[in-house]
Amino acid sequence: MRKLLCFIIVIFTVLYTSAQSAEPIPSLMESNLKIYVVVGVLTIIFSGIIIFLLSMDRRLKKLEEGH
Amino acid sequence: MIHLLKQQWWKYTAVIILLYVLIGGMLVPLGPSALSLYPVSIPSDTSVNFTITGYHTHFEDAKDLQVWFKPTTGTQFYKADSIVPIINSTVRIVFHMPKSNLANKHSENYDLVVNDSIDGTLTTVYAMTVAAGTGESSPAVTPANQPEVNQLKFKAFAFPFQKILFQTIRNTFFHVPMWFAMMFLLIFSLVYSILYLRTGKIEYDILASQAVATALLFGVLGLATGMMWATYTWGQPWPNDPKLNGAAIGVIIYLAYIVLRGSLSDEIQKAKISAVYNVFAIVIFTLFIFVIPRLKTVDSLHPGNGGNPAFGKYDMDNHLRMFFYPAVIGWALLGFWIMSVRVRIKLLQHKKSLL
Repeated sequence: MRKLLCFIIVIFTVLYTSAQSAEPIPSLMESNLKIYVVVGVLTIIFSGIIIFLLSMDRRLKKLEEGH
Repeated sequence: MIHLLKQQWWKYTAVIILLYVLIGGMLVPLGPSALSLYPVSIPSDTSVNFTITGYHTHFEDAKDLQVWFKPTTGTQFYKADSIVPIINSTVRIVFHMPKSNLANKHSENYDLVVNDSIDGTLTTVYAMTVAAGTGESSPAVTPANQPEVNQLKFKAFAFPFQKILFQTIRNTFFHVPMWFAMMFLLIFSLVYSILYLRTGKIEYDILASQAVATALLFGVLGLATGMMWATYTWGQPWPNDPKLNGAAIGVIIYLAYIVLRGSLSDEIQKAKISAVYNVFAIVIFTLFIFVIPRLKTVDSLHPGNGGNPAFGKYDMDNHLRMFFYPAVIGWALLGFWIMSVRVRIKLLQHKKSLL
């Protein structure tokens, strides 16, 4: 679980820094008639729901282990 | 209700609806629009070559392309002298404006009006400016008052092309339904809080509390996606908008509900106090989300608020609605799905604690 979270954070950091060095973020977001804003919104929703599910998963695990 | 929450059919329905919304909402193109005009500033009494760039337009395919310039403050239309479509998205025109038509002004702003039988009428406001030259004026041009234009909007199956919004109009299917899902879950939670207060059944308390927890997820997602959208359309992530501040307060009110439950250790006391709190919370939440932003004295950027035209009248068109209403149902069902899993975990926990 913790390993997975670390992995996600590392991946995001790498993506973020590489996107920054390629070209400034605003121009990417404004390009192609702002379609990347929609991509960003969908990413936020997806990751939000995944984080919520992971927290539920942890709770269920505790219950299964009988604490 | 617990029995219904365990059933599968509505979960499959949610998946199918959300797939429809995701695929359709992302694949339907934007409608045609005149994107840009070059040059944007010309002197009077000179024949100027203009290039008009369109988006998803059919300048070449439609054999009847017409181009006009209309003073932004006036009602007359001036026809372009020669119209040569290069490709479907590019047209070259020649246009000149005599100084005598400027009515002694130093300069005048013009809207661009493009019309053809496939794309309908496309208007770009403040497209260009004519500056009055110092030389001799050519004879005045008689403007047409009411040119024969096709009033049809566009034949293609497409979402409306709106300046500033552009492709982000698709966020209507992702940002807005977050708030609808939150609202449905909160109403559900209110019903079960009241039922708990009437019957004292602990299952009702579990349903109410887990609905609030799931509603908070959608509230936070609504705020986050809204900030993302606002950054690139309103210019900043948190403009001073009453609906934004109201939504943030609403989320905090329900965070307080979770904190309140966490601070009480006695199960019955926890259930009773939080149920009463929930009934008051929905009243305050409704005031902040639906009443205050709609007051005439408050200015809001959100459609349908602060004297803005009502939501649905100008901001939605029939193609958007085909995906927006399913999106609301789909995301709400997904919310109830997540809630049902939480409820079942809690029920197990409760059963175990009784043993």
